[in-house]
Amino acid sequence: MKVVKSFDEPEEAEVVRTGAAGPDAGTSDRPNRPPNIGDDPVISLRGVTKRFSGTSTDAVTDLTLDIGAGEIVAFVGPSGCGKTTTLKMINRLIEPTAGSIQVLGQPQGAIPVHELRRQIGFVIQQIGLFPHRTISRNIGVVPELLGWDKRRIAERSAELIELVGLSESVLDRYPPELSGGQQQRVGVARALAADPPILLMDEPYSAVDPLVRERLQDDLLDLQAKVGKTIVVVTHDIEEAMKLGDRVAILNIGGILEQYDTPKELLRSPASEFVASFLGRERGLRQLGLLKVGDVELEPGPVQQGGDSATRALQVAEAHGTTWVAVLEDQELRGWVSTDSLRDLDANATVNDAPLEYFVATVTVDTPLREALDLIVRSRTRRAAVLDNARYLGMVTIDAVAGGLQ
Amino acid sequence: MISRAVIAQSSPRDHLVSWEWTRDHLDEIWTRTVEHVQLTAVALIIGFGLSLALSLLAVRYRRTYGPITWIGSVLYTIPSVALFGILIPFTGLGFWTAEIALVSYTILIFVRNIVAGIDGVPRAAVEAADAMGFTRIRRLWSVELPLALPTIVAGTRIASVTVIGLVTIAAVVGNGGYGALILDGLNRDFSTPVVLGAGLSVILATGVDASLALAQRALTPWARTRGAE
Repeated sequence: MKVVKSFDEPEEAEVVRTGAAGPDAGTSDRPNRPPNIGDDPVISLRGVTKRFSGTSTDAVTDLTLDIGAGEIVAFVGPSGCGKTTTLKMINRLIEPTAGSIQVLGQPQGAIPVHELRRQIGFVIQQIGLFPHRTISRNIGVVPELLGWDKRRIAERSAELIELVGLSESVLDRYPPELSGGQQQRVGVARALAADPPILLMDEPYSAVDPLVRERLQDDLLDLQAKVGKTIVVVTHDIEEAMKLGDRVAILNIGGILEQYDTPKELLRSPASEFVASFLGRERGLRQLGLLKVGDVELEPGPVQQGGDSATRALQVAEAHGTTWVAVLEDQELRGWVSTDSLRDLDANATVNDAPLEYFVATVTVDTPLREALDLIVRSRTRRAAVLDNARYLGMVTIDAVAGGLQ
Repeated sequence: MISRAVIAQSSPRDHLVSWEWTRDHLDEIWTRTVEHVQLTAVALIIGFGLSLALSLLAVRYRRTYGPITWIGSVLYTIPSVALFGILIPFTGLGFWTAEIALVSYTILIFVRNIVAGIDGVPRAAVEAADAMGFTRIRRLWSVELPLALPTIVAGTRIASVTVIGLVTIAAVVGNGGYGALILDGLNRDFSTPVVLGAGLSVILATGVDASLALAQRALTPWARTRGAE
């Protein structure tokens, strides 16, 4: 199953996600948290600054941002932008110099660091599996720290290894026996072992080759649909950030937050020159990959019922400036007929009397614009019919696509 | 006079080893073996414990590593006979005089290997341990020390072979062991105990070394696996 991220329906999508997060997402004192990101952040940074000793500039400067339950947030920026430092301040591998960080509603220092970390899954670039432990015992590390019994740990390991798409036969092997991609999956399984509400990922896929990386990214999105964690992922790869992130925080050198928004909004209205240049050229093309057919205005198009008269159909085609007319049967799209064939008919003939051709370019509201555009440029009609199952919703044209990018 | 008696007593002087003498002295040989093993084991255990503490100090506070190894090196370079000589006025003849000397020789070997072993633990494994909420002591116990084990065992093998050899010299401060057999033979100009003492010491050293190697194999099954790539 491929996860469809609904940027267009934030509220509904949010309800689903928070629901999936279920009991892990909330702290015990607020079991029924409102499913609204802004109101109740899982991670909240306020004026966070970090200066490493022996340096004269801040690695992170006065950073304030919230991360809501069940969302994937990507930190992206050039090296030296403090993205990893920020990530590590969340689980206090690095202590901030100034400002405050609240995690799961607990203020900084409310519980010992090691206990806080057991509630936060962590995936690092170098994976960092323990080479002296079998895969099964690697996955069971945090449950073991939490004092689960052996049997429960074993069951959990087996469950997780399947969840990350590996076979149970690897459980008894040692990490060096696995490929890089497999180790990466085990790293994710290990991070999820105790079902932490938060997952932090530090450049999780930069050590694997591009093909494997793409699959792992897809798998993460699939996984997220099942587990509904709050995920913070650090990456230097803007493509990865845009693909994974529900929201993306673009950081500049010195940990200055340039913009924090959905990928769609970033592409549509970059807040600064830096953001625009970081997003790179082909911003329009990239938007095509993120926007859906449902995001653009559909036009009714030249349509006629099969029983309508051929003469009237010709008028409709003329009005739309087309050489064809789409044929509906009630709400259902049957195909299209050409104006040439309509002209050949008798004066009192109906549209149904003309030879029907099938519509090749059909899309749904969930089809990415990029895909729709491809169909449009390859179709003779220069437009794609938008269907909901067989029900006809309208047409999407090149002009409509271009309009959607504004 | 003594040597005359010896000659009279043991006629087969032309042989390097008198099997007859050996047969008659099996009890003594066994006693010497027990003494030798005891001296060695106590020195290794105390040496390891002390070195582990020093190593952890050195790993935690890196500045102490230099001074610790410097002292270790100085102790290591003092000729053993001289060290016994220095100690006798303070500690007299006996077991603990021997042990102080023996332990001091193990420090450098152990500390170097334990520190190298802990330093050699992959950075990522340590970072992962921290990130998952290991306390410092737990990280040491279940991540760093197990991963340092091959290097630590390598050090233990060198230390034990060294100590087993040195224990023969501990006989000069009156401690038995195979050294007592060797001294006895040298005093009497009688080769059998000398050869037996030296030979058994070598066999003991080789045996301990081999057993430690096997023990390491058994303890670190993960170190035998090789990458799939």
